[in-house]
Amino acid sequence: MTLRKLFTFDEKKRFMLALIAPAVLVLIFFQVLPILTGANASFRDWHLHDPQKTWIGLTNYAYVLRDAEFLGTVLPNTFGFMFASVFCSLVAGLLIALLLNRKFAGRGLVQTVILLPLMVAPVIAAIMVRWMFNDQFGIVNVILDVFGIAPLAWLTQKWTAFFAILLTDVWLWTPWFALLLLAGLQSLPPEPFEAAQIDAASAWRTFRYITLPMLRPVIVVCVVIRAIDAFRTFDIVWTISGGGPARATEVFSIYAYVEAFQFMNFGRGSAAAVIGAVIIVVFAMGLYRILNRWVEVSK
Amino acid sequence: MSAAQALPAPARSPGFFEALAPGGKRALFVLGLIAVCLLFAFPVFWLVLTSLRPGYAVYYVHRGTDFTLDNFHDVISQEIVLKALWNSFAISTLATILSLGVTVTSGYMLSRFRGPIPTAWFGAIYVFRCVPYVSWVLPLYFVTRQMGIFDTYWGLLLPHVAVHICFFSWIMKGFFDGIDPSMEYAAMIDGCSRWGAFLRVALPAAVPGLTALAILCWLYTWNEFLFALILTAQNTPILTVVMAQFVHELGMEWHLMSATAVISLIPALIVTIFGQKYVIRGLKV
Repeated sequence: MTLRKLFTFDEKKRFMLALIAPAVLVLIFFQVLPILTGANASFRDWHLHDPQKTWIGLTNYAYVLRDAEFLGTVLPNTFGFMFASVFCSLVAGLLIALLLNRKFAGRGLVQTVILLPLMVAPVIAAIMVRWMFNDQFGIVNVILDVFGIAPLAWLTQKWTAFFAILLTDVWLWTPWFALLLLAGLQSLPPEPFEAAQIDAASAWRTFRYITLPMLRPVIVVCVVIRAIDAFRTFDIVWTISGGGPARATEVFSIYAYVEAFQFMNFGRGSAAAVIGAVIIVVFAMGLYRILNRWVEVSK
Repeated sequence: MSAAQALPAPARSPGFFEALAPGGKRALFVLGLIAVCLLFAFPVFWLVLTSLRPGYAVYYVHRGTDFTLDNFHDVISQEIVLKALWNSFAISTLATILSLGVTVTSGYMLSRFRGPIPTAWFGAIYVFRCVPYVSWVLPLYFVTRQMGIFDTYWGLLLPHVAVHICFFSWIMKGFFDGIDPSMEYAAMIDGCSRWGAFLRVALPAAVPGLTALAILCWLYTWNEFLFALILTAQNTPILTVVMAQFVHELGMEWHLMSATAVISLIPALIVTIFGQKYVIRGLKV
């Protein structure tokens, strides 16, 4: 295609551009512009209390990439959290979708109960978890006490705090997986299942060799979307542990936020944000390749 | 429901559970259901319980029998909570309308056309979808200040629309992919313009999907925290932020926080109960 052809606007092209124009405008002003502002700030000496805004090149990047906190804690936490959260909520969501796909009395009620987390704001869930895991007054320790287990200071140790955060995330997102997978299950054609039943296939083999392969496109899309979202989790970590104890549960979003708004170094926070963005975009490109091979998304 | 369940089950040798106890499998199933429901409902149940306890009893929620509705009264009589309720409601509703309006056309374009423009646009929204919120919400604070819309409806509304553009365009494309375009071609042969074919033929067919997306969008905006935290201040209080402020280092007012949270759950509950069948139906398309 020649350049001239690319820049002549016939009636069809004008229609196409008109269709996306509002979206493009909003995207430019409220996403591209801020991202560029942030990228610009990442090359500058931009302290919030004393914004010199002098150009310092890659100093901020060098600091973040050499920071033991970032390499040793933040990156492993972020990826560990992403894998654990996606895996657990996928398995739980799939089980629940299979459960809800059967007919039984009271299914509507069960479905509404399981969808409860979808209407709870992540902040509320996080505050509730902080309250329930409170070491002095929390209900979790009370229940543990009934079973004769000594109370734990959940949120002041790294792994227990991490567990509480993970639990919240799985609780919040399992219904989302269940909802999408249930919609997927209900749109599967019934014939293969009838054939399997005539052949007296066991429930497990029917699931393993018919349901799972047929559901794969939905699963792949869900996993990609959720993995990208889990990478940038902010609010539940911020509310439950604030990245503590002593920055042990910081994930990448928290790191950038803390550098920018608590240590008041906007330039350094922006550099961290850019590094994180590059990592996830590269990661997402890889995922997209796999996705494209498995399911056709953009024909 | 699939027709599979309607077929008579073929004879099989009794499995482990049937041998163990007749009806045992059924009992196990019911027990599993109850356990799952308990797990999902418990935090919400605990929230409601906490909101019904007076301030002095809140630290021992599991003990004592004093219950009160005073917390709700205290919360409702605070002007900032009422204002935040209204703001959250208005922002969620407006953001839903704007987001759907902007993305329905974009999704339609992605679904119906081929060539460099749709390909470039699809690539752009995929990349922008992946960019973490922190990398643009931090500078967005400065950008909205520069534009003079910081701490106003627009300053929160438009970033919310920007959040939704990428994901919703993608989903909308899926909805339109499921609709046969030949009706639109027929309409255009009969003298309908491109806009006419889109507005009068394709759009009505996409309504189930749009309904599902509208419900999810409303819930998402109603529950959103990070953008509201950074892009608003005193003039535009948002419910999630106000709620979180009840439990600060300064004062842990769990009972008031819970009461506000329960109030914020009510609209979401109504939307979910009445909306879930539309969501499942719409997503199936």
